[in-house]
Order: sequence, then C-alpha cells, then structure tokens
Amino acid sequence: MRIFREWVLAIALYVALVLDGSLAFYLHQFQNWHGYGASCWLMPIGIMLIALFDDMNDKEIWLALGAGVVADIYNFGIVGVYTVFFPLACWCCQKIARFLPETFWARLIIVLLGLTLLDAFVWLILNMVGLISTSLRTLLISLALNLVWSLIFFCLSYAVWANLSTRYPFLVDLEAYRQ
Amino acid sequence: MKKFLQNKKLLSAFIIVVVILVVLGGSVSLRNKRNTPLFVQSFGNDVVAVGSRIVDVPLDLISGGLNNVNSILNAEQENNYLKSKVTDLGQTQAKNQVLSEENRQLKSALKLKDTLTSYSLVNASVISRSSDTWSDLLVINKGSSSGVQKNQAVMCGGGVIGRVIEVSAASAKVELITTTDKSANRFAVQATNDEGKVVHGIITVNNGNLAFTQVVDSRKLKKGTKVYTSGMGGNSPKGLLIGTVAETTRDSYGLSNLINIKPAGEINDPSVLTVVVRKVAN
Repeated sequence: MRIFREWVLAIALYVALVLDGSLAFYLHQFQNWHGYGASCWLMPIGIMLIALFDDMNDKEIWLALGAGVVADIYNFGIVGVYTVFFPLACWCCQKIARFLPETFWARLIIVLLGLTLLDAFVWLILNMVGLISTSLRTLLISLALNLVWSLIFFCLSYAVWANLSTRYPFLVDLEAYRQ
Repeated sequence: MKKFLQNKKLLSAFIIVVVILVVLGGSVSLRNKRNTPLFVQSFGNDVVAVGSRIVDVPLDLISGGLNNVNSILNAEQENNYLKSKVTDLGQTQAKNQVLSEENRQLKSALKLKDTLTSYSLVNASVISRSSDTWSDLLVINKGSSSGVQKNQAVMCGGGVIGRVIEVSAASAKVELITTTDKSANRFAVQATNDEGKVVHGIITVNNGNLAFTQVVDSRKLKKGTKVYTSGMGGNSPKGLLIGTVAETTRDSYGLSNLINIKPAGEINDPSVLTVVVRKVAN
C-alpha cells in the first residue's frame, strides 16, 4: 500500500490522459465551431494544479517529464511537445505558488494562462515540424474556445486534484509521518 | 565566446534547447520513415489504449443512450426515406450479383488473381481521439495483430475518412483525410466526366475543405460527380469513394483549377471504422 500511495498521482495522471482522449472523441462535435476547436486537457490541468498545491516537492517535475513523454508518444508520435511544456509548467507553477494566494480564483487564472500558452506552444511546434499548417487567425479564435472548455474542465476536476495532491504527494508517504 | 562558455546557466539552457530540437527532429523523422514504431513507442501506445478501452465502456453506454433517443425522434423521417430506397434495392442487388459473377469469370479467363480493386476489410472501433485541437488523429482498437499496416485506407459511413499512420500490436493511429500535415500521404483519385473521360488527381486540403488538385481538365467535372481512389498511389485499392464534387474554383495563383469535394465518409463522428487491406502488393 505504501508504494501505491506514493504513485497515486502518477496513476491519476494516466487516467486523466486516457480520459482526455475519450472525452475528445465524444465531445468533438460540441467542441468544434466552424472549423475552430478546443482541446480536452485534464492532464495539463492536473499537472499545473498539483504543482500549485504542492510547491515543495521537486519530484513532481520528474513526474511531469514522464507524463509529458507518454502523452507525446500517445498523442503525436513525436517527443518534444508535452515533454518540454509539462516540466516547465510544473516548475513555473511551483515558483508562482510561493507568492500566490491559496484561492480557487488565483489558481484558475494561472491554469487558464498556462493552458493558453500550451495551446499556442503546441500550434507553434506542430507548425514548425510540418505536422499541421494552420493560420494564426485559426489559433487566436481557437484560443478563445479553448478558454471556455478549459474553464469547464478546471471547475469539474479542481476538487479531485486538490484532494489527491494534498493527500498523496508524489513519492512521499504521508502515513510514515503520522505514525 | 569565453564569457558565454563561462556562464553555466546560459550554457546549460543552450544545451537543453539543442537537445530538445534534436529529439524533436529525430522523432519526426522516425515517425515519417519507419513502417513500425519503436518498441517503447508501441508499448506506450498499447498501455494507454488498454486504459482507453476500459474508460470507453461507460462513456459508450451514455453516448449510445443519447444516440438511441435521437434515433427514436428521427424514426418516422428515416422510415419514409428507407421505404423509398427499398424498391430499388432488389434490382440493384440482382444487377450487382450478375456483374460480380461476370467480373469473376472474366478475371478467371484472363488468369488474373488480384487487381487494384481487390481488397479485404478489417472492422475496428474508435477508442480515442487526439486531445489537442490541432492534430486530426484517431486511435482504433485493432493493430498489427489484426493485419492492420501503415498507410492503409480507412473508411466510415460509406467513404474514405483517412489513413493509418502508426501501428502497434493492439492499436493503431488514423490520420484523418482533412489533416494539414505536409508529410501526409495523399490519396490518388479519379473521376469520370460526362464525356466518359477519366480525370486523375490527388486529394489535398484547401482552407479546411477537401480539394481535388493537379487535374488537367477539371472544368468538365460537374457538381455531384463522384470521386474515387484510383489505386495509383500504391497504398489504397481502386474504387473507394472519397466524396462528390461540390464546386470548381481557381487556386490562389489563378493558374490551375481547384475542385472542392464534399466528403462521403463520416469525418466528424466516426465510431466504427473499416480498414481497407489492399491485396495487390505495392
């Protein structure tokens, strides 16, 4: 059970990755509007919220790196999109968390900002390597749609990530301190 | 230069950026060149695909329930439409049977085994979609163990919707035909105009719409003309429906004709797909 408690966050991120793909499939019709679309990003929300809730655990940056590699392989078949952004976002969120008010609204703003940057970063990298060829106008309109859907996903998953990151920090067994 | 080399933080950042660019470039090159992904990649895909299948069960039940309600609401309209089609169905089936038999006899007389129109089918379900809005990728629950290979055409709802781009043992990734990926294999297609002349071209994407480009005499293709794969690309069999001609315009340089295609396949809501396995070798 000790090992399980230490790896709960990693398992939760795996479930979030799976849910992202399944929800993107079922919600695709609702997320798209006149050729512009939004993303399903429970996993990036999770990584940023984990870092905001637990800003002292450096091991979570390695968790973000691992999650990024798996997400890259599964979603794009190339390595270097989420693999770069996730650890960077985790590190930045941990730094920001030290002076950020511990409120829902403050975390919401940071996560929405992070997801906007992520959307633009994915667009930039995929355009750069030639996997997509879409205009800047498409990006800007999609960013607005993305914000709306990210807000919904954030509100739905906030309590889950808050609970998991405070009760089961990555590779730390809190039970050992309670005994 | 000396200052740069002595500044450890700057040097580390520079090395990290170079490593990232090398990894990114290398993985893109591998993705495009290799027929099968690396073992680690294949294993990772299958591990996540297993999770997707489990999560898919309750989501499919909910989605299926909502679709059933929608189907009940549209039942009368659908029934009237089907009644009008039933009268033609018997005659079409009889004609198809006669033509198939004649085709088989002619192939036998010519000692032809497999032609460009010969193919077999592998049915699969979609279990996931790329979570970002930019890449048009689907993940299906059939892989190399079921005979799926890279570059095979994928159909849904009566038309081609994409192509397999990556195959693992128990899952595969399908890139939709609407992708703007510059390195994607394009479908070689053909259409027959009113005069019976066959017009050849490839399928590209123009402002989010499917387009039939590199055509010599496209003006003669009327609206509603059906566009099929020609089998010339080496990956897909001949005769798979891509869509119908929607309109003919000029390209941005005003030099060649650009024919917009209305896709026949269910691109927006594919749930059950068919992977088309071409029998004639490339």
